[in-house]
Amino acid sequence: MAKEVRAISDARWPDGVRLPVVLTFEHQSGEGTPLLPGDRPNYMMGGALEYGGRTGIWNILEVLDTLGVTATFFVCGTTAEKFPDAVRAAREAGHEIAGMSYSFDKVRTAGTAREQAMVRKTVKVLQDISGAEIKGWRCPDYRVSPQTLDILSQEGFAWDSSMLNDDFPCLFDCAGGKLIEIPFTTSTADKTFIGYPYPMKGGPDGLTDVWDCEFDALYRESEHGSRFMILSIQTWATGRPAPLRALQQFIERLQKYNDVRFARCGEIAAWCGDAAKS
Amino acid sequence: MWKEIRPQQTGRWPDGVRLPIIISVHHQSEEAAYVFDDGQVDPFDYGERQYGGRRGAWRLLEIMGKHEVRGTWIVCGATLEKYPQISREAKAAGHAFAGHTYEHEMMCNYPAAEELRLIRKTVSVFEDVLGERLRGWRTCFASHNTVDILLEHFDFAWDASMWNDDLPYVIEGHGNRILEIPFSSYSDAALAVLITKPFPPSPFCTWQTNTPRFIWNTLKSQFDALYARGASKAVLMPLTVHDFIMGRPSRCKILDDFIAYAKQHEGVAFITHDEASAWWWKNYAPEEAPSTALEMS
Repeated sequence: MAKEVRAISDARWPDGVRLPVVLTFEHQSGEGTPLLPGDRPNYMMGGALEYGGRTGIWNILEVLDTLGVTATFFVCGTTAEKFPDAVRAAREAGHEIAGMSYSFDKVRTAGTAREQAMVRKTVKVLQDISGAEIKGWRCPDYRVSPQTLDILSQEGFAWDSSMLNDDFPCLFDCAGGKLIEIPFTTSTADKTFIGYPYPMKGGPDGLTDVWDCEFDALYRESEHGSRFMILSIQTWATGRPAPLRALQQFIERLQKYNDVRFARCGEIAAWCGDAAKS
Repeated sequence: MWKEIRPQQTGRWPDGVRLPIIISVHHQSEEAAYVFDDGQVDPFDYGERQYGGRRGAWRLLEIMGKHEVRGTWIVCGATLEKYPQISREAKAAGHAFAGHTYEHEMMCNYPAAEELRLIRKTVSVFEDVLGERLRGWRTCFASHNTVDILLEHFDFAWDASMWNDDLPYVIEGHGNRILEIPFSSYSDAALAVLITKPFPPSPFCTWQTNTPRFIWNTLKSQFDALYARGASKAVLMPLTVHDFIMGRPSRCKILDDFIAYAKQHEGVAFITHDEASAWWWKNYAPEEAPSTALEMS
């Protein structure tokens, strides 16, 4: 049974890095759409989410390329199967590809065998399509099962990012060895403010507001202690031109700080791995 | 049975205090996390809430310390047992305390005997873990027994559970008196949560659905209105923050900015419920005050 060893609040980032900022893009294409009453498919909402797979990801890749920033993409297996070119392009542009279930599978009550088979299938699909080694994971509904971390550690994962309970990466002792948990937050997630497709609470200006406030607070705190900033972003939400412009302006603002560095989850885990060893 | 004693004269604060602000820090960690019908606690809601005990409360303490202001920590008994260090540091920094039930039980759902047992249990956790004899109480969702229970069985100087008035008032019954210091739904929870079905919050409906700017605008408009009114009348600003909501970096920045803004105004005082209680009893009805109320004056 996975057990938390400690929160890595003393992580030492590479020289010159005061605050690493991790952009995580959650990439599905409608697999997570809730059904209409009577278990009928919801084509309208499904389309709003499919936007991410068809179009949103390409818009995002273009902006990241222009700004020279690399990020982590959490990808559903079926989305990679439906839209393989975009996932390949992300990989070729130097982004990290991580798993986010095969088809938006919710594992809370799945049982070990089913969850393990699902993880293996996702890894195989993502590796076959992108050529990337899959070392990280996020549960699509942010609900780990009691076995998730154990299974990931046994399948050779280095890190997971499904939890919401901390500011610091945490070291876990699992059935298959050590695993780094990289917690994130819905408090700054784009879909909190740009809904599903409703509500639109704050819209693109709201994203600018909450990202600026989060950065300002963490940058101030990072003067005295180890901090990192992580954003959860949907390709179906921020892939649209207006919120994407807000993201671009936010990245441009941060690039004026020479001690802020954009990092991928894998880099955070590797840097924490050093702290965990010492 | 009990009755409110409506003040005949207008209560007042000490000279020079135009607008007292009471920050209530709800420190409840994962106590109220949602449990699915199958008995498993929701990992999503649990994690969002646990953040408050692990990190959020520390950040709130740090921000208040930076501004040298104190407030009242409204703490669940079980949270105090699991995360004692934060409350010890808050106590050392001069903050006041109130009990907030044991595991955030919604008291409106419990019979009187169970409510009494849970209040007693919480009171004794404060004595055991913190060496703190509680002077105040804030329930979770008052029952129709709450006031009677507090008057009959406890010697709290104040209760701060009601949303029904702007200013403190005295409640009398069972040969006892207590000061009710009301607050309002203008809290970070109300400002943060989007009430939709299904509850609990889902990845598309969290405890964090309002923008920092919206929270800022609401706090500032409340402050500006009360400050203007405070020129001629007694006013009080309750400011309720939760460890797992306002304790997030982006939201804490708003608290940081708000305290800085409020402190620029003459006559603004950040006080605890203990201080409010002592001031009010002293100025309104010193001869009727319970002994626990005046210790702080």
